[in-house]
Amino acid sequence: MTWHADPGQLAGYSRSALDPAQATSVEAHLLACPACRAGLTGAVPRERLDRIWDRVAEVVDGPPPGPVERLLTWLGIPGHAARLLATTPSLHLSWFAAVAVALGFAVVAAHGSEGGPLLFLLLAPLLPVAGIAAAYGPGIDPTHELAVAAPMSGFRLLLLRAAAVLAGTTALAAAAALALPPLGWLAAAWLLPALGLTLASLALATVMHPTAAAGAVAGGWVGAVLATQWAAVRHLHHPLDGPVGSVLFDPVGQLAFLAVAALAALLIARRHDRFDYDQTGRQP
Amino acid sequence: MNGTRTDERGDAELLDAVADGDGEAMRALYERHAPWLVLRLSRRCADPALVDEVVQDTFLAVWRRPRAWHGRGEVAAWLWGIGIRRLLDQLRRRPATVLGLLDRAGRAEPSAEELVLVGVEHGDLAGALNRLSPELRAVLQATALDGLTTREAGRLLGIPPGTVKTRLMRARAQLREELA
Repeated sequence: MTWHADPGQLAGYSRSALDPAQATSVEAHLLACPACRAGLTGAVPRERLDRIWDRVAEVVDGPPPGPVERLLTWLGIPGHAARLLATTPSLHLSWFAAVAVALGFAVVAAHGSEGGPLLFLLLAPLLPVAGIAAAYGPGIDPTHELAVAAPMSGFRLLLLRAAAVLAGTTALAAAAALALPPLGWLAAAWLLPALGLTLASLALATVMHPTAAAGAVAGGWVGAVLATQWAAVRHLHHPLDGPVGSVLFDPVGQLAFLAVAALAALLIARRHDRFDYDQTGRQP
Repeated sequence: MNGTRTDERGDAELLDAVADGDGEAMRALYERHAPWLVLRLSRRCADPALVDEVVQDTFLAVWRRPRAWHGRGEVAAWLWGIGIRRLLDQLRRRPATVLGLLDRAGRAEPSAEELVLVGVEHGDLAGALNRLSPELRAVLQATALDGLTTREAGRLLGIPPGTVKTRLMRARAQLREELA
């Protein structure tokens, strides 16, 4: 390098006292010359440099992201949201393992017996609901106090986690559904109920604890499936012409769940402020 | 400095160490590059708080993805690329704090390509640059020196890309005239 900025020029540059062409020459030169860059130390107040570094140090010295958080960041989710998601109890590996085992049993049952597919269709929509029960709220979430105290709204956190849980369990269940015996479109008849039940439990969570809401929805679902299946078997509504006769898995039933999902979404949108401060739904 | 032993490693080695999770190397990299980054960004944005935030974000980006450098060119140039684009992102969200740059300290430096285009061989280039009006100098600087596209330059300066192109043409024409 044939030209270096002398100390006078560097001082002039840091004070914005150089004329435009000189300043630009210095800038272009600084990109390539470590020695002249070192000459600038001291041009910026130490206090300012330390202040900027403090924010960086929080991340540098903080705990390294775990595998779930790294995966989420790789998927494009911003850092803070990824960390919140990674601390969701129901997004841990142990949870997914339990879900996989449950699905495995359901698939085996589907192959093994006449009424087998019903078990799978009964179970699959319950999985995201159970995930939401374990995603938020005192007693379930070890970071609950932090979440309540954080400036992020509780509703947004729950939505974020619910979306992640729904996506994760749906993916697992879809993979498991590939292993079911050939059932035609019935193999996908759990998708809309899953959506409907998930949104319904979120909507209920605006008036009660998320775990209680999920429990109520799950209980209602199991009861409805068993009742309609029993009624179909008894030929009360229509003859049983497949392994699953419940009206809930007919096109009519599917549309009904779409309506439930839409209604629940509306309720959630209107009452979303109930999630903040107080899990029992009472305004503070 | 702050009393720690000056790191003797080159920038590339420091980045390698950062990629292995070395916090000390990150600090050393910061101490080397933060001062000029702050100064250079401050000459494109008048808001010191915004400049601080952009510098923070730049080094955080380096910490998170040190291998994005890919060994291309100077580490300092890579840092500048990150920094100026972070500044652009911030300015997009806060249009009110568009820079107070167009004062007596406006700056421009034509790249080698620019010089060839202008056909300059001799002449008082520095003087001609200084005699450009601030708006023309600003677009020249944003595109040729800072390495921005015309669209990005428009976002930085708060003008439409068409205006950027027109001003670039006028700047070149004026330089050509002066230096012919």
